Amino acid sequence: MLESQGISLINISKIEGFYMKIRAENTSRKLIQRIILVVLTFLAIGLVGFPLFWMVMSSLKPPTELFKMPPTILPQNFSLEWYREAFSNSIVVHYFLNSLIVASVTSILVIILATFGAYSLTRFRFFGRKAITIAVLSAYCIPPIMLMIPLYRIIASLQLKASLFGVIIGHMTVTFPFAIWLLIAFFRSIPREIEEAALVDGGSDITVFYKIILPLCIPGILSTGILVFILSWNEYLLASVLVSQDTMKTLTVGLANYISSVEINWGVIMALGTATTIPVVLMFTAIQRYFVEGLTAGAVKG
Amino acid sequence: MVNAEGSYLQSLKRGHNFFSSFHMRRKILGFLFIIPTILFLAIFVLYPVISNLILSFTDAKLMKSEYNFIGLDNYLKLFSSKMFLKYTWNTVIWTVFSVIGQLVLGLSLALLINREIRGGSFLRSFLLIPYVVPAVAIALITKWIFNGDYGIASKWLQDMGLIDYRQSPLALYGGAMALLVIVNIWRSYPFPMLIYWAALRGIYKELYEAANVDGANKLQCFRFITLPQLRNTTIVLVILRIVWTATYFDLIWMITGGGPAGSTTHLPIMIYQASFGSFRIGYASAISIILGIVLFICIIFYVRKSGDFAD
Repeated sequence: MLESQGISLINISKIEGFYMKIRAENTSRKLIQRIILVVLTFLAIGLVGFPLFWMVMSSLKPPTELFKMPPTILPQNFSLEWYREAFSNSIVVHYFLNSLIVASVTSILVIILATFGAYSLTRFRFFGRKAITIAVLSAYCIPPIMLMIPLYRIIASLQLKASLFGVIIGHMTVTFPFAIWLLIAFFRSIPREIEEAALVDGGSDITVFYKIILPLCIPGILSTGILVFILSWNEYLLASVLVSQDTMKTLTVGLANYISSVEINWGVIMALGTATTIPVVLMFTAIQRYFVEGLTAGAVKG
Repeated sequence: MVNAEGSYLQSLKRGHNFFSSFHMRRKILGFLFIIPTILFLAIFVLYPVISNLILSFTDAKLMKSEYNFIGLDNYLKLFSSKMFLKYTWNTVIWTVFSVIGQLVLGLSLALLINREIRGGSFLRSFLLIPYVVPAVAIALITKWIFNGDYGIASKWLQDMGLIDYRQSPLALYGGAMALLVIVNIWRSYPFPMLIYWAALRGIYKELYEAANVDGANKLQCFRFITLPQLRNTTIVLVILRIVWTATYFDLIWMITGGGPAGSTTHLPIMIYQASFGSFRIGYASAISIILGIVLFICIIFYVRKSGDFAD
């Protein structure tokens, strides 16, 4: 009796020791894993952030410091001189206004068209609905480089090359399928039962759309509109081709001309690059929750 | 509630053909809503594509409105041109490495943001930023940090002895393309990251639990559960990214303009140069039709793979 108890006690303490060893190994392995994870996270943040950080920092360095080798990481003296120089040029102000007008008009028009289109494709059943959906999805894949020449000919024959309309049409062409694509995902996420109930209650289709669907979709529609704004703001190829006058160029086109000139004024283009990038990054941060929802809802089906 | 039922009954009584007229009206309304979309797509997408195809059989010039049909001449000229072969090869290199890079990086980062960690949503927002940074900003940053004289990254490479003093990798024959691919990966990984992240969240947790019970380690879980579950997502992503990368013009044009010595010229740049450099838009259209046919095949695969349009 005693003997067997003694044996079992020894065994239990042995087993306990064994388990503690495993647990210790586990925690140290967990710790190493955690460290690796943290290091990887910071590496990713650094790789993504550094180029942008460097652009902003360079734009804030005074001329004497900008070309110092080896470069200083943080500016010793912050200066806004490059920004002052950039914006004292009246053509730069033109570029900014043009970009603002083009992106605003494009996003408003695209949103109106795409909201009706996406609503129709998700809520009504009619002949050819599936074919139209496929056509929209395919249009999403047609790249600007292939639309460039025909669009140029259309715009030139309409004599719109001296205005911003050509660029607006071009930007609508490339952003419209994307907007429909996102909005279809948003509309699908709203249960049909809500509007069916309203229809049964005697609401007409138009009132159901305005009073019930539209309010529910406002976040989705707004964030799609902002995305279209960003895409239009960032677009380069069509904006550079579809306009002839210098005063009608958008920011990206003007900036691209500065980069490819022989004598590059680095300070000024760093300041302009920063001024071009910060608004869209801020806008995107504000809506990215909806963007992530919309894109992932549409995509998981794959 | 009584009201609701009342009006429902009323509308039922209103006419014996309530259902047919109601559905007819909705059909017409739905069709009215889609008409602007159809018109817009027909004028600004379908017409340009057809116009491209027609122009590719002509000797059209940019500034002239009249042109002659010359049959397959543009295509024959292209296929006998050494430059076309070289630029096609550049396009393949650019596309293959960019797509592999962004998918691998996208998946890795998706695995990272898929873990429950503190500050996870901040990390996700932060990693999405490159998606909206304008290509022109990326181009000027690249040209600045890889500037031979004042660029910080060129300085590091020079100190490591990889390139000569005061040299930029952008001026090297092979270096320029390699750098462009890296920059393009930086620009375009967020989309695959998001899609992979969504797919990862869609995998049933029970699969991992079952595997754990069977004694599988993390690597085995990844190899035998995660990867097979991501197969369809990967196919769709590969197709979409091939289409977008192979036709992507802005970045290369703004950073190297196709140089040095044509080593970074790909087909979109060749199209641009043919249209606005030598004004031969017939020839340019032929290039874009060839590129388009390859991509069209990709798009058909995409539409079939991502199918399920009837909700």
